[in-house]
Formats: sequence, structure tokens, C-alpha cells
Amino acid sequence: MKIVCLVKFIPDVDNFSYDYEKNTLVRENVKLILNPDDACALAFALGVKTKRPETMVEIVTMAPASVIPLVEDLLRRNADRATIISDRLYAGSDTYVTSRIIGRYLESIEYDLILTGTHTLDGDTSHVPSQIAEILKLEQLSNIVKIHEECMTGKRVIVEADTEKNLSKFEMELPCILSLSHESKYKLPYIRYKDLELDVRDRISVIGNEVLSFPETDTGLKGSLTRVNRTFVKSLQKKERIVVGTDEEGIETVYRFLKSKGFI
Amino acid sequence: MKLKGLFDMKKSLIYLDEGDLKSSIDLLEVVRQIYLGGFYETYAFCINHSPDAAIGQFDYVLTVKEGRVQDCDTINLTNCLEEAHRIYDFDSILIPATYKGRMLAPRLAMRLGVGLVADVTSIAFSNGELEMVRPAFSGKLFAGVTNNGRKPVMMSVRPNVFTYSSGHFRTTRLMEFQPSSIQPAGLRLLETRNKEKAKDIRESEILVSGGGGTADHFDKLYELAEVLEGMVSASRRIVDSGIAERSIQVGQSGKTVSPRLYIALGIYGSVQHMEGLKNVENIISVNTNKNAPICSVSDIVVEGDSKEFIIKLTEKIKNNKKCINKEAEK
Repeated sequence: MKIVCLVKFIPDVDNFSYDYEKNTLVRENVKLILNPDDACALAFALGVKTKRPETMVEIVTMAPASVIPLVEDLLRRNADRATIISDRLYAGSDTYVTSRIIGRYLESIEYDLILTGTHTLDGDTSHVPSQIAEILKLEQLSNIVKIHEECMTGKRVIVEADTEKNLSKFEMELPCILSLSHESKYKLPYIRYKDLELDVRDRISVIGNEVLSFPETDTGLKGSLTRVNRTFVKSLQKKERIVVGTDEEGIETVYRFLKSKGFI
Repeated sequence: MKLKGLFDMKKSLIYLDEGDLKSSIDLLEVVRQIYLGGFYETYAFCINHSPDAAIGQFDYVLTVKEGRVQDCDTINLTNCLEEAHRIYDFDSILIPATYKGRMLAPRLAMRLGVGLVADVTSIAFSNGELEMVRPAFSGKLFAGVTNNGRKPVMMSVRPNVFTYSSGHFRTTRLMEFQPSSIQPAGLRLLETRNKEKAKDIRESEILVSGGGGTADHFDKLYELAEVLEGMVSASRRIVDSGIAERSIQVGQSGKTVSPRLYIALGIYGSVQHMEGLKNVENIISVNTNKNAPICSVSDIVVEGDSKEFIIKLTEKIKNNKKCINKEAEK
């Protein structure tokens, strides 16, 4: 079985850098981390590989080349190979363009299952997995909290998704795209001590537009169908307020307030 | 010959998610804001459920009865919506950002080759251009996003943020829509079961919410919630430290809530947290720091220890309930 894990490296949201002129996030040469939901996706795939060693796991990410050391650390956890889609032209792409770029690469390879995360800590649109599914004409489900690996055959898989209203169990035909939630709790294993310095460079391919051949006008900010016009921080509305303490008088004030509003 | 200008009638389609009809219908308010002052017709898309809630609110309801389309079958839902768009040529398509909506909207946008803005929380205009505002970077920033002009303008809209109050009862035309592009589904629903929490915090009128300051006594919140017949919710800090489930998280990366009463215990009130509070009628904050941001939007600020507050208030409510019951028994 061949599993593709689509992952995203995001800026540490507590320390991000923003280009206010272009209205894009600066992704080159900033501290990046693996998006938590995506880590679960990879963790699940590696778990399958541990039980079924003939499984092939390929990591795919669209990112600046600065992610190579992070990708190497993922390969050291026993993933088979990684493909980094990287090109200056792709910087500033919105989700539509990003999905088309990654989708074009995926159209050129074989796979039985594609795993992704659902929410990202930066943009959090959740567009890419669904849009890639549309391009590849596959079914896709988000917020997967459990994959029943024991009944996964080459043809179908059973999953559980948190649909907000309830927990639903689905049977999905393979290939399909499953987008995991970090609530699935699949955890990446630690890198084995002997593998900490393992040379995995030969397992990485970096491909750019010379391979994917998009017209320049279809990429980056130019090719995007949405554009961030401006960004701002929201301000709070001030209110008239009463300040009390936790003494008897304070508690009485709160109690009377609640009573007058019909809460008690 | 096309009549333009005065008779430039805009057509807007809203997808009704039967799992959250109210939030779906509230999207009429977004449409109203987009076409402010102009003429527009609203269409509801209603598949495999009753259109009753839409009657009187929309100009048209496209009803589809198609047993082959399952809930969460986003490929076939996309097929149906695409077919509808090819016939009616909508200017805008709005989808509530529910579980299903968040998977359906991007598929449809890719199918139609248009841009999509996710999780819109407000509408603005910039130099006459429509700007869809959405939170990003875990709520630290808001982005005003524009579409490059291709029709239809598409967006998914955050539930519980917009409220539609219909001025008058509209005459609604129901139109049966028979899609021809249904394909065999690649997924099958096997079973559903309730999540552990019977209710969603978004449905609760009263929320007793704990922040970092309640980490060592979070379980006490449940006692206060019980006497008030409300629910417990939590800030991101509490959820991240594993004390509470993410399903009860309030804030940008959690849920948006509109309770009538929000008691914020040991909550600082960061922008990301406040993003989760929409149209909350009454806020009581309990904090050792009366200048925490949440205090400036509170009706009552209780300066002090939250554990003490909970114990005292819970006891007072219980005692008064006992008195009332004793009186009733006499």
C-alpha cells in the first residue's frame, strides 16, 4: 500500500512575520513547525508502516527549501521518501493556486490513500484537502478522529469523524483523502537515537515549476483568485462596569444581578 | 438585449445545511449587507430535507429530493450545486461554515474555478470593492479579502455571527430541482452516535467559562454551572493544558458563542478569546486583575479569587433555592 502524507510547515503563530506591503505571511527563513493536525496524519501512516512494513509512505509538502532540515527529521522516523514542491514563483499563492500545484504533482504519481490534516494554525481555511480531492476526483472527509486500520484493505477503509453534531462512522472507497484532526491523538514517534544523524538526503526530491510547468500568470499572487486587501487587529468595545470583591457584599451584588435578569 | 443598471438584479444562492438551519438562513443578512441598496433575489438550496424554515424568508427555494445523495457526499452535492449554477448563473453563493459546509464550499469553488473566502465574520467595502473579513493566524489578525471579480463570489460564513431579522414575510416560490449529474458515491455512512457532551456550548444560554486562572480548580466550575443550569466552557489555555476538551473551547480556534450570560473566571480576555464572544448580553468577569481586557467589556467585575467566588456564589444560590422550596411547601 502506498500512503501519501500531505503536510504543511507553518510559522510558529506566536512569533510570525508578516509582509504588510504584499499582505502575505513571510515563510522563508522563519522558525517553522509541523502543523499539529498534519503530524497526526503522518503518525498514523508511520503506525501502519510499522505493522505492515511493505507500506510505502511518501511525504509531500509545498514549501520554501528552508524546510529541508524539518523534512529530514520526518524521514528519520521511517518515512520512505519526501517530495518538496518549491519554487519562487509559488510564493504568495492562495489556496486555489496551492491546490492546483499540489494536485498536479499528485496526478503524476500512484497512491492508495492520501492523508492530510484538517485545520492549520495559520490560515485555517481547510480548503486545500477538499480542493485537491476535487481535482483528483476523490472523496474527502475532514475532522477524522479515528481510522480503523485493522479493517483497511486495498479497496476500502472505515473512519470516524467528528461532525460537530455527532461522531459519524463512514466506509470510504480507496483511494480517498482523509483529513485528520489533532483530536485523533495519533502521535509521531521519537527519532531513534541511532537515526538522529541519519543521512536521508537521497530520499528527498525538490521539484519546482520546471517540472510542473504552470504558466507564470497562474502562480503566486498573480494566479490567485483571492487577495488579502488589508489586515488589522479588532478592538474591544468598552462598557460601564461595576467593580466588586468576593466579600459578602460582592456576592450579593452578583446574586441580585443574576436574579434581576432571570437567570436564577 | 440585456437591461442593465436599474434592473441589474443580483442572484444569491444560500446552501441550507439541515444540521444548522438557523445559521444557514442567517446568511440572508450577509446577502443584505453585500447588496446594500441594490436589487437582489435570494435562492435557498434545500436537498433531502423540508424547506419549511425557508418559506417566507427567501424568494425561491430549490428543492431536491434525491435518495442517492447521502449526507456528507460532497462530490454529489457539488454536482447538484454546479448544475444549479449553470442554470441560474448566480452572482454569489454562500455556504455556512459548518462541518459539511467547510468541505463543500472549497470543492464547489474549485469546480466553478472561482476564489473562496472561508469563515467570513464580517463584510466591508474598500473603494467600492467587496471585502470579506475573516480571522487568521489563530485569531491574532483579521484579513479583509477580495475576490478577483470572477462570478460567482463564494464564501463560507462562520455560524452564530450574523443574525437575519426579516422585515416582512416574503412570497417564496418552491421549485423542484432534479439534478442529472448524480454519480455512485465513494462513501457510505455506517452509524452515528452522540458525542460525550450531550449539548454544544453554542446552544447554552449560560456559560461558566474558565481560563488559566482556574487551572487548579476547574472542576468547581461544573458545580456553579449546575446550579445555574448552564454549561462549562474553557479558554484555549485550559484546553491546551489538557484540563478540558477542545469541544468546549471558546475563542478563535474554538467556538463562537452567544449566550445570554457569560461568567468569565480567571480569563484574561485576549483578542483570540474575545473573537469567540458574539453579542453576549451579560458578562461577569472574575479576576485578580481588574484591568484585564475582559473586564472592560463586563457588566460586573469581581476582583478576587475565582475559587472563592464560585464556592460562595454556588452556596448562596443553593441556599436561596432551599428557602424558595420551603416557602412553596408551606
